[in-house]
Amino acid sequence: MHRAHSVSLLAVCSILIGCASHLPTMNSVQPVPRPDQIVSFDRLYGENCSACHGANGQDGPAIDLNNAVLQQLLDDATLHRVIRDGVPGTQMPAFGESAGGMLTDAQVDALVAGMRRRWASASLVHPVQMPPYTSTLTGNTARGQQLYQSDCRSCHSGRRQQVTDPTYLALVSEQALRTILIAGRPDLGHPGWLTVGGGRAITDQDVTDLVAYLVSLRVATPGQPYPEQSETGKTAPHTQEK
Amino acid sequence: MSRLKQIYSWLDHRLQLGKPLIEMAEHPIPNRTASWWYVFGSAAFTLLLLQIVTGILLALVYVPSAGEAWNSLNFLNHQLTLGWFLRAMHGWGSNFMVAVVLIHMAQVFLFGAYKYPREFTWTLGVFLLLMTLGMAFTGQVMRFDQDAYWGLGIGASIVSRVPWVGGSLVHMMLGGPIIAGATLSRFFTLHVFVIPGLMLVFTFLHVWMVLKLGINEWPMPGRVVRRSTYMAEYHELTTRDGLPFVPGGVWKDAVFSAAIIAAVAVCAVVFGPFGPSGQPDPTIIQTVPKPDFFFLWLYAVLSYLPPSLETPFLLIAPVLGIAALLGLPFYAAEGEKSWHRRPIAILVLTTVAVSFGVLTHLGTYTPWSPHMDAWSGGPSIPARFLHTASPLEREGAVVFQAKQCRNCHSIAGYGGQRGPALDDIATRMTKDQLIRQVLQGGGNMPAYGKNLSPSEVTALVSFLETLHPANEPAAADAAQAAATGPSGH
Ligand code: HEC
Ligand code: HEC
Ligand code: HEC
Repeated sequence: MHRAHSVSLLAVCSILIGCASHLPTMNSVQPVPRPDQIVSFDRLYGENCSACHGANGQDGPAIDLNNAVLQQLLDDATLHRVIRDGVPGTQMPAFGESAGGMLTDAQVDALVAGMRRRWASASLVHPVQMPPYTSTLTGNTARGQQLYQSDCRSCHSGRRQQVTDPTYLALVSEQALRTILIAGRPDLGHPGWLTVGGGRAITDQDVTDLVAYLVSLRVATPGQPYPEQSETGKTAPHTQEK
Repeated sequence: MSRLKQIYSWLDHRLQLGKPLIEMAEHPIPNRTASWWYVFGSAAFTLLLLQIVTGILLALVYVPSAGEAWNSLNFLNHQLTLGWFLRAMHGWGSNFMVAVVLIHMAQVFLFGAYKYPREFTWTLGVFLLLMTLGMAFTGQVMRFDQDAYWGLGIGASIVSRVPWVGGSLVHMMLGGPIIAGATLSRFFTLHVFVIPGLMLVFTFLHVWMVLKLGINEWPMPGRVVRRSTYMAEYHELTTRDGLPFVPGGVWKDAVFSAAIIAAVAVCAVVFGPFGPSGQPDPTIIQTVPKPDFFFLWLYAVLSYLPPSLETPFLLIAPVLGIAALLGLPFYAAEGEKSWHRRPIAILVLTTVAVSFGVLTHLGTYTPWSPHMDAWSGGPSIPARFLHTASPLEREGAVVFQAKQCRNCHSIAGYGGQRGPALDDIATRMTKDQLIRQVLQGGGNMPAYGKNLSPSEVTALVSFLETLHPANEPAAADAAQAAATGPSGH
């Protein structure tokens, strides 16, 4: 009985000593940096952006940032501002400390620089000039509707392609529409400004008119879950609950 | 040789320690007591010595000031040769000591060793247990990192619930209204002077009584303890069937203690020191504090208790528990020692041990707190759900992230686990049920009614309706949704 005990004890000891034989040479614990000291792009992007904009800047639910055209469209100051202040009224949050977020200016700069390094292409030149990020032109809704019929309907017709859904349009900003129309969403298969017009590059005026048309489709009370019912005067169930 | 002997007798003539020590070493112990069951007390003592030695070495470098503590620990970890090993030994030594003391106590309880005449030995033991836990808690504070900070915060909030004097108690404990430099000084004094000092005195008395009263005999069914006869019976037992403590029993103690120290060293080398985690700074809120393992059970209990019971539990349970432990030997000073005749004692011990184990397990593995980064970081919702989605559904996925649903709900294996995974939620809930769940919450889910616009709700729900395996259709009234289309046209 007692012998058995001592044998097992010996066994335990030798196992422990065995474990000890492959020692880590240096202890691997690193001092934990303050969260606001992190400037690695991978960490910053992986902790703050990847869930919406996709792991490698694409295939996420929000616009793909891994797109050389988009990187060309937004200048540094704009990128910095968007990350710092977010896009009010949309799901793009403000990350800058000055706007109540967690990232310092240096960290926002690190994000901008990292995106440029990874996803921009300095050699990207276009046969025709790219429409600017913001426009000074005024949009023509009727012309936009015509353009939509001729350029967009071919792809955007089925149920899954409803970019004219007022609830969708209530959730995205005009700028987002503009950015998508120019830069495209290569990860989803929506073409950029050069090819979206069926071989004709669309112009600043075209983009402005298209956006004006889409924006004109917004409604006063978007988001009714059962639109037919609310159209016939009944209140949607969840507005009653509120 | 004779020279040495001369010095010895000169010293001993003055010290008068030789004879009692030899008597102690040779005092007879019951034969069957020289068993592997009786090694935990001495192991606890060895661990105490280890903690004292490593603690003194640590104190040579450690700076007990709020500004410097964290840095000095990082200095130990990274700059000083084997500094990390010293910290690891002290940290693991502490964990082992708590464990060994608990086992020792369970064994003493199981063997009825607290009965006459050893009631007071047990009482001191209870205090030693409390002090060991006190050392563990104050030790965690010495780390003065985020875990320590939040541990203290939780401790303070427990203390603050004491009726009437709670506020002053917190003030006393923290050395001010908030956790600051004075707090660390206080805990340093406790950890380095007050508790260890008391512990040494108590340990000395505890061991003294063990040696003087003799070690508990192996419990036999039917051998009943009576105050009137016990001493004589014990004396008879040790003279008839006993052997001298040295070397009869002591070698097992020595072997076991050595094994424990080896185990501490192995853990120290393999797992390294504890922390320090991030800097203690209340402005850093990206942290998920968790207490050290022996307080995890408490954490689990508190998470399960309805909030209205927390205060009574925190204030009453410890008092009752300690009172029960202290009262035990006086309530049951006589009677059977053998576990064969003490079913209730066995029941109590197993219940306590099992609940401790289960709660600790729960505390360790239950994802209590949400996954704080999942809303913005980590892998996005798989492209499978996004590429075939309508713009509205895709926007719903963005809302799902932006409103931090994913901090509590995982999709594709990523996200918090406070709520159920939602990969196939569309097969379980209809559109109306989803709307209701989002707006009204329920269980541990907050109600989002006021925080979402109707568009956001619609987008979110139309996205949730797409969450089903490709080969399994969505739930019942999805038929209606399909007829009208999630985008409504
Ligand atoms: C909760 C989801 C979410 C997170 C997290 C998020 N974004 Fe966004 N982001 C969006 C949405 C939605 C839009 C489109 C907003 C709109 O409608 O204008 C957007 C737009 C953008 C744009 C384009 C703005 C434009 O002018 O077209 C940039 C650049 C961007 N985000 C960068 C980032 C970076 C960098 C991070 C990480 C620091 C980040 N986003 C994190 C959702 C998110
Ligand atoms: C070659 C086919 C094609 C053409 C032409 C096209 N799109 Fe798209 N578009 C797509 C695809 C594919 C998607 C992504 C899938 C989806 O949203 O259903 C998309 C997405 C979009 C989105 C973004 C949806 C989101 O999730 O944010 C907008 C806005 C959009 N298209 C507008 C337009 C407009 C305006 C035009 C006309 C100038 C147009 N598209 C022409 C294929 C096309
Ligand atoms: C704080 C954590 C938390 C957050 C944030 C949260 N939930 Fe929940 N959710 C829960 C819990 C817990 C349950 C289980 C509720 C119960 O006990 O009935 C739940 C249940 C659900 C269910 C029902 C699941 C089922 O299988 O019965 C759905 C659907 C759901 N949540 C959606 C959401 C959405 C959408 C959001 C974001 C708007 C969200 N949740 C945010 C914790 C959370």
